[in-house]
Amino acid sequence: MQAKKLNVKDKYRLLTRDLDWEFSYEDRKEAFPYEEFEGIKITDWDKWEDPFRLTMDAYWKYQAEKEKKLYAIYDAFAQNNGHLNVSDARYVNALKVFLTAVSPAEFASSNGFAWAGRHYGGAGARVAAQMQSIDELRHYQTQIHAMSHYNKYFDGFEEFPHMHDRVWYMSVVKSFFDDCRSSGPFEYIVAVSFAFEYVLTNLLFVPFMSGAAYNGDMATVTFGFSAQSDEARHMTLGLEIIKFLLEQHEDNVPIVQEWIDKWLWRGYRILAVVAMMMDYMLPQKFMSWKEAWELYFEDAGGALFKDLERYGIKMPDFTETIKNEKDHISHQAWWVFYSHGHAAAFHTWTPTAEELDWLSEKYPDTFDQYYRPRLEAAAELEAKGERFYTAGLPQLCQTCQIPMFFTNVDEGKPTEIVYRESTYNDERFHFCSNECKHIFDREPEKYVHAWLPVHQIFQGNCGGGGLDEVMEYYRMGLGEMNLDYKGSPDEKRWKKWKGVA
Amino acid sequence: MHPAFLYAWSDRKHLEWNASVYEVTIDTTGEVIEVEEGQTILAAALRQGVWLPFACGHGTCATCKCELLDGYVEHGDASPFALMDMEREEGKFLACCATPESDLVIEANIDVDPDFQGILVEDYAASVIAIESLSPTIVELRLSLDRPMPFQAGQYINLELPTVDRARAFSIANRPEGANEVSLHIRKVPGGSATTYVHETLAVGDAFNVSGPYGQFFVRTSDTKDAIFIAGGTGLSSPESMILDLLASDDTRQVYLFQGARNKSELYHRDKFEALAAQHANFHYVPALNEPEAADEWKGFTGFVHEAAEAHFDGKFSGHKAYLCGPPLMIDAAVTALMKGRLFEADIHMEKFLTAADGQSEITRSALFKKI
Repeated sequence: MQAKKLNVKDKYRLLTRDLDWEFSYEDRKEAFPYEEFEGIKITDWDKWEDPFRLTMDAYWKYQAEKEKKLYAIYDAFAQNNGHLNVSDARYVNALKVFLTAVSPAEFASSNGFAWAGRHYGGAGARVAAQMQSIDELRHYQTQIHAMSHYNKYFDGFEEFPHMHDRVWYMSVVKSFFDDCRSSGPFEYIVAVSFAFEYVLTNLLFVPFMSGAAYNGDMATVTFGFSAQSDEARHMTLGLEIIKFLLEQHEDNVPIVQEWIDKWLWRGYRILAVVAMMMDYMLPQKFMSWKEAWELYFEDAGGALFKDLERYGIKMPDFTETIKNEKDHISHQAWWVFYSHGHAAAFHTWTPTAEELDWLSEKYPDTFDQYYRPRLEAAAELEAKGERFYTAGLPQLCQTCQIPMFFTNVDEGKPTEIVYRESTYNDERFHFCSNECKHIFDREPEKYVHAWLPVHQIFQGNCGGGGLDEVMEYYRMGLGEMNLDYKGSPDEKRWKKWKGVA
Repeated sequence: MHPAFLYAWSDRKHLEWNASVYEVTIDTTGEVIEVEEGQTILAAALRQGVWLPFACGHGTCATCKCELLDGYVEHGDASPFALMDMEREEGKFLACCATPESDLVIEANIDVDPDFQGILVEDYAASVIAIESLSPTIVELRLSLDRPMPFQAGQYINLELPTVDRARAFSIANRPEGANEVSLHIRKVPGGSATTYVHETLAVGDAFNVSGPYGQFFVRTSDTKDAIFIAGGTGLSSPESMILDLLASDDTRQVYLFQGARNKSELYHRDKFEALAAQHANFHYVPALNEPEAADEWKGFTGFVHEAAEAHFDGKFSGHKAYLCGPPLMIDAAVTALMKGRLFEADIHMEKFLTAADGQSEITRSALFKKI
């Protein structure tokens, strides 16, 4: 009889599981010290279904091919002065947001997967995490290389690693990854692979990449496609980890539910900057934040949670809040950056008349009533030569580190800012929402020492008390990468290149 | 560049009427799907209840990468990074973007079950030898074939009925004994052209072609866990074949059959299974009626069939294999009950009986489950 041909699944099992070994003279528990400390119960690692079956040699072959293709396009982009083909120089500010907020997250994620992968007792999960760690490093590098061309012509790119550890809004993403990397290996992977990669990734990548496509930025579109081609593995890993944990033991269900609730909320909060980017920063718009949220979360996420219900997992209670917020957060976030435009590493501006009309059309229930008047008032001040910058510093949420600008839409009070607080060890802490307060209350020790950039300024830890000193500490200077787009060096250069007065 | 990202989850390429239809054979499992001109292979597969791996649905992630063994495809909007030139040359394609340009034979990254025998699908000439009433709405159709058809208990055949436009699938209810006879249970679906034809027009002696065997629904005998069968309506057919086969082969595992029907008149073959239960100590039979008539004087379980299973096992199902067969709502309720009782996808096997009314929905499911 002919020997049965091994199928792909069996071949891959042999390749990965043979990398594993039995512990004969060492205690297995000491080799994997974090496997039990989160309360997760793994009864049988053999039940792990490899979410993808890519051998290491194939992995290198594929990735090398992708790099070749990608860098050929980067070269062509640079040689053809591709930056001159974008819709408008204001667009480039969306890229500054991407490089300072998203790219460092790729690096943190690479680091996180390397650590978490080390601590899984199962060889299949270890190999999957290892590959993702390398992928994330690749994404970080290719993003920096894509931006390096813009760095030659525009302000605001050059100091992103320095600023990452210091600047107020960059701490939002940094704290997300510090938080998940300082949890256990299972919480880490639920946070990143499931909540972020599987559920929310479309809301991060689609806006930036479609934005790039609509605004003539081929380099960014290309790295987007290159990174997305790795997403197959990242997304299926996210699904497998959830199924695996939920099926391994029923005691895991409530733990996983808490993680899903926490990390979807934390991920969602980060997306406020994406919302603002979509609605305000793209000269050629392709979709409003509200529409993207409805398509990628309410429809696609709805189907996912319907399936997860069978495991006893519920859609988080706060999805109603998010639904209520979708008409507001982009406008609120833009106002925060506009009014703190002196302390941001990108330019801000008031929308043009056509852009205001587009916003009215996309947000018929809120824009004209709450947000247009403020932007029109700002434009009037600007016309008088009194461009508005706030003199104050924003209060930050202790959990998500976002300025407290979210309003009480749940109770139909969209002009009233939400303030929540908790007292822990006789100290009062402030939060932007019930959910951020809940996350803090669950693990207060994890957040009491948070490095909140605004607090640090007030404590004198950021170069001094004056704006100039803080800007120097940030390496932002004043009047180059920050302040209004109008009158900026970016604008002057762009007009010169384009031959407009 | 065309922002293909925008089309995530909404692969809404509307079908044109009268467009040509290509047959796509998934060599890995032997399943065959029909893909309309301009329809993606993934969209067609999911609509016809055939699982192919997928994630993004719009050509950028490469989860749905398949290999072309025969035929021609148009690659559509597949990203050059998700499907590189060297892969295109090697005959790879993305099922979520590719549209067939001929009939195809493809290989997909699907796990082949070790108990799958891979019996080749062939065409047979069939003639009707009996049509007998099993209940007010169900008949048993017995066909004689031109030669014996090997099949695995639980599989189905396609009937090419005269005057009915496309082939229709029906599960085989008898056990595979090497005879050239198959028996099918057919409920008259209101407004269903094929089932109405069988009930009202078809007569003994009529001849037509059938093809088979098809399907991934069979007993995983290599797994020795006890087996739970949950059947609703004519969904009894496959389990009947599977159970008869198990018991005839002196398999010693515990076998449970939960049979659901609306009322006593719809509960067919009860005597047969009660007799089997009396005869085999490892076979247990629980009929359930969800709307018994007063005249039924029903003393058995009243409620839905999945509730009968929950009551019997006290809601705990782990350590079993489950086989579900019946209409979509019954399957859905049973899967929910089984998973609540901590039995998961790897141990749940099913055959969903879809009617034309169930078929044409958009992709509204997530990629969380492959088969259930």
